[in-house]
Amino acid sequence: MSTLASAGFWEFVGVVAGIYTILALGIQLQFGFAGLLNFGQVAFMAIGAYTMAILVVKEGWSTWLAAPLGVAAAAVGGLVLGLPTLRLRSDYFAIVTIAFSEIVRYVAMNEDALTGGSQGTIALGPVGQAAQYNGQWAQFQHRMQAWLGLPSADATMLVIVWLAALALLASAWAVLRTPWGRVLRSIREDEDAAASLGKNAFAYKLQALALGAALAGVAGLFYAWQFSYFSPDDFAPLLTFFAWMIVLLGGLGRVFAVPVGAVVFGFIFAGTRFLGFAPFSWFASDQRAYLRLIIIGLVILALVVLRPQGLLGKREEMVLE
Amino acid sequence: MFSQLVVNGLVTGSVYAIAAVGVSLVYGILRLVNFAYGDMMAFGALVAYGCNGPLRQSMVVAALAGMAATALLALALDVALWKPLRARRAGFMSLFLASIGLALVLRQALLLAAGPQPEAYRVDPYRVFVIGSVRLSEAQTIAVATAAAAIVVVALFLARTTAGRVLRAMADDRTLAAVAGIDVARATRLAWAISGLLAGLAGVLAGLVEYSFTPDFGFQLLLPVFAAVVLGGIGSAYGALAGGLALGLAEELSTWSGFAGGVDPVYKPVVAFVLLALALLLRPQGLFGRARVA
Amino acid sequence: MTALLEIQQVVKSFGGVRAVDGAAFDVAAGSITALIGPNGAGKSTLFNCVAGSLRPDAGRIVFAGRRIDRLPTHRIARAGLVRTFQSARALARMTVLDNLLLASIGHPGERLSGLLLRPRAARAHERALRERARELLDLVGLQAHADAYAGTLSGGQRKLLDLARVLMLEPTLVLLDEPMAGVSPRLRVELLDHILALRRERGITFLIIEHDLDFVMQAAEKIVVMNEGRVIAQGDPASVQGDQAVVDAYLGTAAVHEQPAPA
Repeated sequence: MSTLASAGFWEFVGVVAGIYTILALGIQLQFGFAGLLNFGQVAFMAIGAYTMAILVVKEGWSTWLAAPLGVAAAAVGGLVLGLPTLRLRSDYFAIVTIAFSEIVRYVAMNEDALTGGSQGTIALGPVGQAAQYNGQWAQFQHRMQAWLGLPSADATMLVIVWLAALALLASAWAVLRTPWGRVLRSIREDEDAAASLGKNAFAYKLQALALGAALAGVAGLFYAWQFSYFSPDDFAPLLTFFAWMIVLLGGLGRVFAVPVGAVVFGFIFAGTRFLGFAPFSWFASDQRAYLRLIIIGLVILALVVLRPQGLLGKREEMVLE
Repeated sequence: MFSQLVVNGLVTGSVYAIAAVGVSLVYGILRLVNFAYGDMMAFGALVAYGCNGPLRQSMVVAALAGMAATALLALALDVALWKPLRARRAGFMSLFLASIGLALVLRQALLLAAGPQPEAYRVDPYRVFVIGSVRLSEAQTIAVATAAAAIVVVALFLARTTAGRVLRAMADDRTLAAVAGIDVARATRLAWAISGLLAGLAGVLAGLVEYSFTPDFGFQLLLPVFAAVVLGGIGSAYGALAGGLALGLAEELSTWSGFAGGVDPVYKPVVAFVLLALALLLRPQGLFGRARVA
Repeated sequence: MTALLEIQQVVKSFGGVRAVDGAAFDVAAGSITALIGPNGAGKSTLFNCVAGSLRPDAGRIVFAGRRIDRLPTHRIARAGLVRTFQSARALARMTVLDNLLLASIGHPGERLSGLLLRPRAARAHERALRERARELLDLVGLQAHADAYAGTLSGGQRKLLDLARVLMLEPTLVLLDEPMAGVSPRLRVELLDHILALRRERGITFLIIEHDLDFVMQAAEKIVVMNEGRVIAQGDPASVQGDQAVVDAYLGTAAVHEQPAPA
C-alpha cells in the first residue's frame, strides 16, 4: 500500500511525468511555437507504441530496430494528417485532429488481427499465448539497473526516461533557436506577414506537426515499456488533454517550461490521492478519481481565465497579443 | 433492408439535427465551438433518467425536466465562465481551451454523481411497430416523432418569430446587428437557453435510441454533431438541421450491402469522421454556409 | 523598354460586387508609379491580387516576363516582388532584429535539411544576414531598438521597420500600401527621401498606393487613376491632373488639394 512518503510511488509518478514531458513537448512545438491546435496527439503515441509492439511480436524484429520505426511511423502519421488538413482554419483543424485520433483508436480497437483488438497487446501473439514485446527492453533495463546501482526497476526507468526527456528538450531548444525556429515562430505570429517575406507557411507547419508527432511516438514507446502491456483504451483523448494542461501550466512558447508543468501536474494528480480531508473524505475511493479530475479541470479553467501565460510564460507576450 | 436503414438513418439523423442546431446557435452568436456540448447532452439525459427511473415519472415529464435543467446549466455556465472570458476579451484560443476544460469537468462530475454504470429509460424494448418492411421500436418511434416535432418548432421559431430573426441576424453579422440596436446580452442569453433546451432534448432522445447509455456518452456524440454542423455550414441553423439528417442517413446507409458489401457497422462513427474531413476539405462552407473569410 | 509588371484586364469579384473590373496598366522598370483613386476604387484589392494574397477571377498579371497571378504569396515574394502593409504588420512578439532577419531568401539555416547537412553554410549566411540587418536598421534609424519587441514601436517606426524588412529581401519591385498613412510630416519627408534614394542607388521599382497627393505629385513619374474597379486615366502627373475624368471621380472628396485648370 503506497503512502505519501513511499519512494516507489513517487518513482512511478516520476516516470509518468517524464513520459508526459515528452508527449507535451510535442504539443509545445506544435502549438506553442507553430500555432497548431492538435487535439489528436495521443493517436501518434498509439501509433508509435503499436508499431513497435507489432514489429517485435509479429515480425520478430529486434526492439532496437522496431523502436525507431515506431517513431518514424508516428511522424508519417503526422504527415498523413497534416497534408490534407493544415490549410483548414484553426477550429476546423482541431476538430479534424480529434476525429483522426478517434479513427486511430477505432482501428486499434477493431482490427483484431493487426493490433490484438480490445484485448490489447496480449492478444498480438498466437491464440493461447500472452504476447510479450518487452523482452529485450527488460534485459536492457536490468543491465542499466545493475550498472547504475539503482534499487528498483522503476528507479531505473525514471533515470532512462528523464535522460531521454532532457536530451529531447535540449534538442528542441537548440532547433528552435535556429533560423528554422525563427521562421516557425513568425508563422505562429502572423502567417500572412511571414508569407509576404517568402516563407512557405504550410511546409513549416507540416514539419512542426510531424516532429511533434514523432515526440508523441517516443512517449508511446516509453509508455509501452513501462507498462509492458497496453490496449486501445490506454490511448484515450484524456491523455491529450493532460498534455495540453501541462503545456498551459508551464507556459506557452518555452521549451523548459514543459518539464516544470509535467512535474507540477504530476504532484497535483498523484498527490491528491492522499488527501484524506474534506471534501475528499466525503467520497468513496473510486469516486475520488473523478473528483481529482474535476479539480484538474477547474485548475485548467482557472488558468485559462486568470493566468493564460502559465507559470513561466512571459506576461508581456500575452499583453502584446 | 434498405428502407430499414433509411428509417434508422432518419432516427439517428434527427437526434444529430437537433443537437447540431443547438451548437450552431451558440457558434453563430458567440463564435464559440462548444466542446462541452456533448456533456451537456449527457447531463440532460441523466436528469431525465433521474426523473424517469428513481422518481417514476413518465418519459414526457422526464424529458421536459431534462431540457429545463440543461437550459439552466447553459445559462449558469454563461454567467460563471463565458461572460468573464468575454469581459477579458479572451481570444478564440482561450475560449476553445476553456470549453475543453469545461467538458472534462462536466463529464467527471456526471460520473461522480451517477456512477459509471449504464442507465436506461423505462421503455418496453419488445414493443415494435411494423410499417411495411420497416420495424421501429417504441423508443425509436418516440424519438423520431419528438424530433420531427421539435424540428418543426425550431424552424418556425427561427423563421417567424422576432427572437428567431434576431438570432439569425446576429449569426449573420454580429457587429451590424449590434449597431442596428439589437440587445446583444439578451440575445446571448436566449441563444444559450435554446441551446441548452435542444441539448437536453437531443441527449434524452440519444439515450432513448441507444437503449442504454453511460454518463460519459456525450463525447461519442460530440464528433458526429460537429460533423453535422460543419456539413450543413457552420453558423447556419437550417444547415445544421440538414447536415444532421444527411449525416445520420449517410452513417446508416454506408452499411448497406449494396455498397460493395457495405461498411462494417462497427465503423459507423468513422463514416461520420470521414465525411467531416471530406466536407472540410472539399466544401468548407458546408451545404448552406457562405464561402466567406472567418 | 519592356514593362516590369503588366496588369492585363484583371477582374476580381466579391459576392457579386466587382471590386476590380478589368484593370489594365504597366509599370516600367526603375520607375516610381503611383496608384490613386477614391475609396473603394479597387486599389487595395488589385494590390492583393498582384501580391498573391487574392487570386484574380480573370485576367493576367505578368512580372518580369513571368505570369504570377496563380502563384502563392511566398513564391511571388521569392521572385522579387514584395509588398508592405498599410498596418505595417510588424511581428509584435518578436524583436525588431528578428523581424529583419526573417526577411531572407534561400537561407540554408531555415530548412531542417540545411541545418543537418550544411551547418557551416547556414552559419555563414546568418552572419552575413545580421550584418545587412544592422546596416538597414542604421539606414532607417531604428538601430537603438534592435532588441526591443516590435510591438513596442510606434506606428511610424513600424512603417520604417516594414520598409527595412522588404529591403532585406533585395527586391526588384516593391508594392507600397499607403506608406504615408498615419505618419508624421517629418517622417513623410524621410520616407520620400528613402524611396527616391533606393530607386536611384539600387534601381528598385516602386508601385505605390497613396492618398497624399502632394507626395504623389512629387515622387511619381507615372500616375494610374482607378475608379470603380477600372483604370480611368494614366500618365505623367501633369496630364493626369488635367484629365476631366479624374476630376469627376474625385469631386466631392477632400483629397484634391488644388483644382486643376480645365484642359
